[in-house]
Amino acid sequence: MSNHPHNKGEHGTTSSYVVGFILSLVFTAIPYYLVVEKIITGNTLLGVILGVAVLQMAIQVFFFLHLGRGPKPLYNIVFFAGTAGLILVVVIGSIFIMNNLQYNMAPAEVTKKLAQDESIYQVNGALTGACKEIGVNHKVTITNGKVNPLHTDARYCDTLTFINEDSIVREIAFGPHPRHDIYGGQSEQTVRKNYSKIITLNQTGTIQFHDHDDPTVTGEFTVTK
Amino acid sequence: MAHMVVAKHEDHEEAANDRAMFGFWVYLMTDLLMFAVLFAVYAVLHGNTLGGPTGRDLFSLPLALSETLILLTSSFTCGIGMIAARAGHKKQVLMWFGITFILGLSFLGLELKEFAEFIHEGHTLSSNAFFSSFFSLVGTHGLHIISGLLWMGITLFYVAKRGLNKHMVRKLGLLSLFWHFLDIVWIFIFTVVYLRAFV
Repeated sequence: MSNHPHNKGEHGTTSSYVVGFILSLVFTAIPYYLVVEKIITGNTLLGVILGVAVLQMAIQVFFFLHLGRGPKPLYNIVFFAGTAGLILVVVIGSIFIMNNLQYNMAPAEVTKKLAQDESIYQVNGALTGACKEIGVNHKVTITNGKVNPLHTDARYCDTLTFINEDSIVREIAFGPHPRHDIYGGQSEQTVRKNYSKIITLNQTGTIQFHDHDDPTVTGEFTVTK
Repeated sequence: MAHMVVAKHEDHEEAANDRAMFGFWVYLMTDLLMFAVLFAVYAVLHGNTLGGPTGRDLFSLPLALSETLILLTSSFTCGIGMIAARAGHKKQVLMWFGITFILGLSFLGLELKEFAEFIHEGHTLSSNAFFSSFFSLVGTHGLHIISGLLWMGITLFYVAKRGLNKHMVRKLGLLSLFWHFLDIVWIFIFTVVYLRAFV
């Protein structure tokens, strides 16, 4: 069996596996480095890492699966190409259609959220709650379960940053305990240990907030026009 | 005369091998289509977190990289094991596939650890559309890994017990095809799920 003429190119040799392995390592390191170091950003970065993934797939299909090596498995290639075509249609088609659908046919509150996300402050003359201009930033620090400052005075469209210096995660909910209100389209804010979360103060009034897991951690902010 | 009989027998073996390979290849391609649909669902729903934490808040890139390197190395050791199988070296087959098995088990351990952390923090399949699609996609891959490990364990047991014969080599060939396939699917999970969250 091992001296059959077909076998050599078709099943690969140690060196073909080594080359495939090294190339795969390189094409794993490149996108990881790009994402961690943020040398390029946004859609360029996304395009590059997806491109590298496709390249790595091609490398493994060639060096590990040995597709297209040796004289025989042409039908395998045809089947693979057909599947790849179907996958492109399914994946790209779904993303395209669903994004369009979400953008154009979303219910009113989602439209409002989208408008806020994109800072569109009015649609057909109606205000969306998005801010035209962002004001100053206020900070609330949580250290050893203490909220500092307990009260923050802010103007409409300022921002507020929750800073969690404790070693546990904080679930900041709006409203007095045990209520969980929606504030300006924003529900609870999960602030991981040594992380911060920023919200836009796009709703006026005096609002209490508390940690869902530890309601003694509480504070409030007042937003005026 | 005797030589001709052997040659005929080998041709027959070769044809049976080809049929098995092609049949399995067809299965892999349909499996790939299922993964494609799960990828499409994840791509569409990954932002729908219902105000909860997103992938960027939760995923750990070093963990995802470790999983990727472990699975990639196991794909490589599996290939080397396959060369040993075709050359008829039973001990080497047991060694290389044994390493593959252990690497696969470590990969599974890391994945389960990540899942357990999410569930412990209260994020389950039913938390929001993001988690539904995340657990479906990554979990389906994990189930494939579990099946692969079971298959590998059983095959290695029989290789150890009965030795390497042509049927065993064919089975190992299908198994290695499956294992390489899982690594390729994981490249896209690594890119689309983990790296993409930090873009």
